Formats: sequence, C-alpha cells, structure tokens
Amino acid sequence: MMEDARDLPDGGTLNADICIVGAGAAGIAMVLDFMGTDLQVLLLESGGLTFEKDTQALYSGSVVDPHLHSPPDRYRQRCFGGSTTIWGGRCVPFDPIDFEARSYVAHSGWPFGREELMPHYERANRLCEAGEFAYTVGEAFSAPRREMIEGLRGSAFSSDTLERFSCPTDFGARYAHRLRAAANVRVLLHANVTGVGLNPAGRAVERLTVRTLTGKTFTVGATHVVLAAGGLEVARLLLANRDVHRNGIGNGHDVVGRYYMCHLAGTLGALTVPRPDAVWHGYDIADDGAYCRRRLALAPQVQRDLHIGNLVARLHHPRIVDPAHRTGILSLLYLARALIPYEYARRLDDGGGAGLLRWLQHARNVILDLPATIAFAWHLLRDRRLAERKFPSIIVKPKNNCYSLDVHAEQQPNPLSRVTLGTERDALGLPRLHIDWHYTRRDVETVQRALTLFAREIDHWRVGRFEYNPQTVEMEMTRYGAYGGHHLGTARMGTDPRSSVTDAQGRVHGVDNLFVAGAALFPTSGQANPTLTIVALALRTAAHLKHLHARRPLAQSLAIPSRVVPMRVRQTA
Amino acid sequence: MKQRVVVLGATGFIGRRLVAALASTPWATPVAAGHRSMLPPALFETVRLDAAHEPSLARAIDSADAVVNCIAGNAATIVGTARTLFAVVSRAPRPPRVIHLSSMAVYGSAVGTVDETAPLNADGGAYAAAKVEAERLAASCGDVVTLRPGCVYGPGSVQWSERIARWLKAHRVGDLGAAGDGTCNLVYVNDVVAAILAALRLPGAAGQAFNLGSPAPPTWNEYFLQFARALGAVPVRRISRRWLVLETKLWAPPLKVVELAARLARLRSVSVPPPIPPSLLRSWSQEIRLDVRKAQQVLGMAWTPADIGLRHTAGHLRLSGMT
Repeated sequence: MMEDARDLPDGGTLNADICIVGAGAAGIAMVLDFMGTDLQVLLLESGGLTFEKDTQALYSGSVVDPHLHSPPDRYRQRCFGGSTTIWGGRCVPFDPIDFEARSYVAHSGWPFGREELMPHYERANRLCEAGEFAYTVGEAFSAPRREMIEGLRGSAFSSDTLERFSCPTDFGARYAHRLRAAANVRVLLHANVTGVGLNPAGRAVERLTVRTLTGKTFTVGATHVVLAAGGLEVARLLLANRDVHRNGIGNGHDVVGRYYMCHLAGTLGALTVPRPDAVWHGYDIADDGAYCRRRLALAPQVQRDLHIGNLVARLHHPRIVDPAHRTGILSLLYLARALIPYEYARRLDDGGGAGLLRWLQHARNVILDLPATIAFAWHLLRDRRLAERKFPSIIVKPKNNCYSLDVHAEQQPNPLSRVTLGTERDALGLPRLHIDWHYTRRDVETVQRALTLFAREIDHWRVGRFEYNPQTVEMEMTRYGAYGGHHLGTARMGTDPRSSVTDAQGRVHGVDNLFVAGAALFPTSGQANPTLTIVALALRTAAHLKHLHARRPLAQSLAIPSRVVPMRVRQTA
Repeated sequence: MKQRVVVLGATGFIGRRLVAALASTPWATPVAAGHRSMLPPALFETVRLDAAHEPSLARAIDSADAVVNCIAGNAATIVGTARTLFAVVSRAPRPPRVIHLSSMAVYGSAVGTVDETAPLNADGGAYAAAKVEAERLAASCGDVVTLRPGCVYGPGSVQWSERIARWLKAHRVGDLGAAGDGTCNLVYVNDVVAAILAALRLPGAAGQAFNLGSPAPPTWNEYFLQFARALGAVPVRRISRRWLVLETKLWAPPLKVVELAARLARLRSVSVPPPIPPSLLRSWSQEIRLDVRKAQQVLGMAWTPADIGLRHTAGHLRLSGMT
C-alpha cells in the first residue's frame, strides 16, 4: 500500500513492527525482504514519487570549503527511490582486505569479514539488476575475453576483476509496484521524520515525530526503527535529537558525524601503447545482459607492503575540456555540457574562463571528426537515451594511442573529517548540516605510490610507457573535490562505542531498538562504489531484524504499550 | 490384471508421452484416443474419436479402468469435451477413474502462494474460464482426480518452450525488468506424466486436486535467462516496458491475423513470428506461486531440476531444427 502523508489526519499515531526511515536503496531493499512475512512494515519517505524542489531544499546546508565538497543538496535525492534516481549504476563489492583491520590504516577494520556479506551481496546484485554476482573475468564469462593491457603480467595489479553495471536501476520506479501490492507494507510519501523520541532512560525509541511540509504532524510507534536516510541525513537525525542524550543519539563519545569519507577520484597520467589494439578499455556484456568492465586493481599484498590504501584505475580518454585531444566526440560532450546533469557535468567544468576560443576549437574538432561524431550520437541515442539498460559511460579510443588513468582511491577514516549541525534550520525546524570534509596526506600517497608502481610495471613488461607527475597528484585527485555521492562512515559500525556509533548489526550503541542502514555504517571506504554494499548490508540487517522478531514473545514490546497495532491511523483525543 | 487406461488427446504434447509411459509400465495398457492417429498402431491400441461426440466416447471408455483427459484446445473444446466426458462417465455402469488435466489458470488473478484449497477464479480470460467450468463439471462426477499443472515445458511444448525459444533467439524477450518479475511456475512434462501415473494408482483419491510445479519457482526473467543460456541465445537483451507495449498492442494483432490466414490457407511454408499476446505479458508479472507440497507428499512427486529440463528441451529444439 502506498499513501501520501499529507492526506492523513493531523495528530494521529501509526504503529508498526518495523519502521524504516528513507525509501532509497537501503530502505527499499529491506522492505522487499520483509514482504510476505507477518511483520507489519512502515516505510517513511520524505519526498514524493518524483523530484520536488521544496522537499529537496530540506537537504540544503553549508560546506566549509566549497571547492572540496559539493553542496549538501547535490548528489543525493530526497524522493522515492532516493539517490538511485540519479546514480550511475556501477556495482562493485568490497574486497576482502577492505574489511580487515590494517595496522597501517588508522581506525580500519569492519566488525566482520567479507564472507559475512557474501550471501547478501548475491541478492543485492540481483536487486541492483547487475546480473549475477560474478566479479572476475573467469566467473563472468565462459569464453576468454580481451586483455585490458596486452602483455601486462606480474602480481602488482590485476585486470581480471570487473565492475558490473546496473541499468542503472531506480529502486523507486523499479520496485514501487511490488511495494504497492504487498499486504504487510505501508509506504507513506511526504513523511519527514523530524524527531526521534527516546524513552526517559534513553535506551529505546518510543516514537518518531513525522511532519509534512503542509503542516501536518503525526507520530509513529514501532518495535524497531531503521534510519536509512543516507550517509549524511542519518548523522543529522542522530545529532539533532538531543531531548534525552545531550550530544545526540548514539553520540556519547562524539563519534556521530566523524570519520566522514568519500573517495578520491581523478584523471591523470598518460599511458602510451604501441598499437590501437594493444588495450581494451570497453565493455563486455555478460549473459544476463549486464555491462562489465575490467579495471586495474591494486593487489592486496602490494597495499600491505607499501602501507597504502586500496585503489582501482580504468583506462580513460583524455581530459574533455582540453580541445587538444582533437576528438569530435569529446568536444561534442564539452559543447553540450549545459544539457548534462550537474552530478555528471562537473568534470566538464573548465572554470568558465576559457571563452570563445576554446569553444571554437571544440567546434572545429566536431566538424573535422564529423562521421565519428555522428556515429557516436546515434550510439548515445540508441544505447543510452532510449535503452532501459544503458551503456554506462563514454568510451573513446584516443587517436594517438594515449590514455589517461581514471583513478578511484580509498579515503582513509579520519575523525577530523566530519559533519556537524549548522546554525540555520530547514523549513521543518531541523538544524541544517555543516560539512567539513578532509582528506589527508596518506590518501594522496596511496595514489602516488600506486602510480609509481604502475609506471614501473608498464616499463618492466615493455607494454608501453606511462608518464605522470607525482607533484600534480594531489591537485588532480582533488580537482573536483570529494567524489560526489559517496557519503560514508558518519555512523560507523564497530565493537567499541568510543570509536563507533553502531554495533556489527547496525544497532545504535545503547539504544536497543534503533538501527542504521546505509553507507553511514561503513568503517572504511575501500575502493568500491558504495551502492551494492549498501544494499547487501541492508539485507543483512533485515535478516537480523527478522531473526529478532521471530524470537520475540508476542506480548513483549520495547517501545510501545501494546505489541503491534495494525497500521491504521488513530485520532488522538 | 493390467489397468486399461484411455488417454484422450493422445496425440498431443502430454498425451503422446503419457501413452508411451503407460506402455512401459507393468500395470497399465494404454488406449490412445484422438482425432489423428500419429502413434504406431502396432505398439498401442488406438481409437479415433471426437471426444465431444458422446456415443463414440461412451464406446471408447466402455471397458476402461481409467480415463485421462489430456485434451487441449480453445475454450469451446475444453468445455465441450469436459461436458461430454463427465456426462458419459456419470452414466457408465462401472465408472472409470478420471484423471482430469486442468491448469493453474483456474486460480485466475490470485497472487501469493496458492494451495489446492484456494478458490477457483474465472477472471483470467476465456481459457481460464473454460478450465474453471471444466473443473466444475468434474466435481459432479465420481472418481475424478484433478491435476493443476503450472507451465508445462519440455521437448514438444509449443507454448512454453518452442514459442519462447523463438522469442529468445530473436531477442524479443529476455530481461523484462518489472514485467518479468512474476513467478514462473514451471513443470517439466515428464513430471506431469509421473503425476498422472501416480494419480492413476492412488487409492481413495476421488475429488482430490493437486498443484504441479516447482517448489522453488524462478521468476520469468530468471527462466528466460536460464533458457537462453541453454539455447545459446545470450546475452539476453533488456526489453523496455515501452517496447513490450509495442509488441503486444501494436505488433501482436497483425501477426495473429497473418498467422491465422496462413493456417487457413494451409501455407505451412510461411513462417510467421509468433505474436506475444497481452494476456501472456500480464501473466509474466503475476506473482502467484503454486504450493506443490501436496503433490510431493501424496503423489510422491520429485521434480526435475530446471537446468536438466531446459538442457533436454534445448537439445530437442536443436535436433529438430527449430533453433
């Protein structure tokens, strides 16, 4: 069932077994997992079925350094489907080493290993519509596939691991019909959680206060509450509720909002290969139709030996903004950048100072390279614009056999990188977020050392030439600031409340019935884009909640007077 | 003393296999009854008959211990045959046991897990309504066991194997997204035959019904992928909702007209791409799951794994030059 909170009577109370706050990748995945059980599930979504300006404005906030971090209302969407409505679809699991406590990475280590997530990863992959959980060339394909860099051997980098691509699947559009049809699920749109009310002892959530932008207020009582509102919003909700715990919920040790990570990403270096067919940087298609792509993955032993973080790199076309590439396709993208959504157009930003000359140079590239540009435009229309499973990215073969490396690197956890509450309030009275994102020297060193090693490997195996300037690594990796949309670690899992917000199941330390789902839980960022792991973790938490409910005596209740009242609105007197 | 088992629709997809299976048992003698006799008469007793013709049918089942109704066809054929059969059986001095092959279509638009006690629901179109009516007629008869198979696939299945193989090869179906989220209650043809054999020998089964399907059915999307792999029709293509609407609303009607015209003109050499009917598209998103535990417990059914069934099916299609 799906309803609009604005249509509910003011001042009512809803009850459920499980209330999930946020209908994004994590929230919807959990609800799908609860479907068909005897649990009554309430899913609260702040937004509507599509983007709404007023609701999105609730995400606004401030950033200490706007060059380093995008505004808080960018790269995340406050609507049904959450940020899956704008994501790129890249699915990659975390590596086993990402879960390890590494002596050379401060504050590293997840409270469990990758094997714990594996069954959930497989299901998450299906929900993300990324096909089978097959992330090596050998697992994904029965027949041999082209090498990424012909002749590159050795153990420092592997090009046998894959990234797979979702359609990209908008979880809202894709699964709305199932949620609507589920007898034990109630979805409420335009329902903004503004208050997380604890009992006097501060050990359980008694009620949620929910408000609409039209001025209605109601409360929700639930046996278990799951905050699945995204890596930034979860921290905001925990910090903003100070009625019982003066520093906010789960924040007795000032950990909420700290260790805020994104990833470091940038395009740098120049790999020159002898022949056009000496590399393969395009996509292979798996039996299930998912686009798959090889990438260079830094071997775990190398990370240990060099004391650096995790990193992957893809072969990339030259920088688009520089017309020297003389490629009509890339110039067309530059000229059309005003039509490209903000989240994807940042790398086309030339600072606005280039002027008419650059524009003319790009126009010249398009004209001189017209046949290839037209073919590309057709490919873009057929395989991306009109296709439901979209061709994931722009693949261009450089004319001079010279590629750059598109690097995606781990950002190490740092307590000084944090989000806090600002002084301003949003339309519902909640303090706005203030973001103070920091990277460290060690994050840059991960890239520098990995690239130095890569240059050595390329030279050793005589497969080409790789040149890069170590002095520009920091500038290039932060040229566009923190990697957008990866909001990690603000309510990290762990076993010690002094350095974590939740336990290994995502339960907030000290609050028995409050859980967190999503990337806020990640203790480290690894090399992988987060969505697949967000969904896998959410499914793991859902399994845990089902287990808890199966064990509960019928009459027992943590937070509400009677166990479960069917989900109907009760008018308060 | 062997059971004399009359198989109505013996030249059809299931009937053919059933007759062969009965002949290989030490306890049954099949009598193959049908419009056409495609079975070697030397091997089996055959009877040419129109099952809707009462006197012919009465003669055919006169000395039978059991009758299996495998007759397929359009709604009129289903109801007409059932009406005649159950009328004849009711009047027989020594009524034989009837194994009536119904369908999961009798559950109509139901969703969720359905067992044999679920109400029959004629809201699934003319075919479903006919199957419901046939079961209603069966209920008035004495010793009838009703089998409700899901989608019966396997070598020779036009509906759930050959047709889908052609669509997969042409990439007209594949990954359908939400449109393929429904449950695919597959049952291999050999399992249906095994269920019939078990039902023939089950004591005290009068009035019983059994669902036949898979205990862990895949979604339609999963079935399409698995079948495409067996056929070598991979990678499967993501078919957009927009394209499916075009297929079923715009493309299917003229294809159907051409198909019917070719059939009427007896132009066997004309190969018309099979249309995708809108009703079929609807069923691919229906989340109905047959509860098959009763068939397992009472009939002792053990189901053929889908990978084995699909491998056999794909092999048959290749050998017969259909893919």
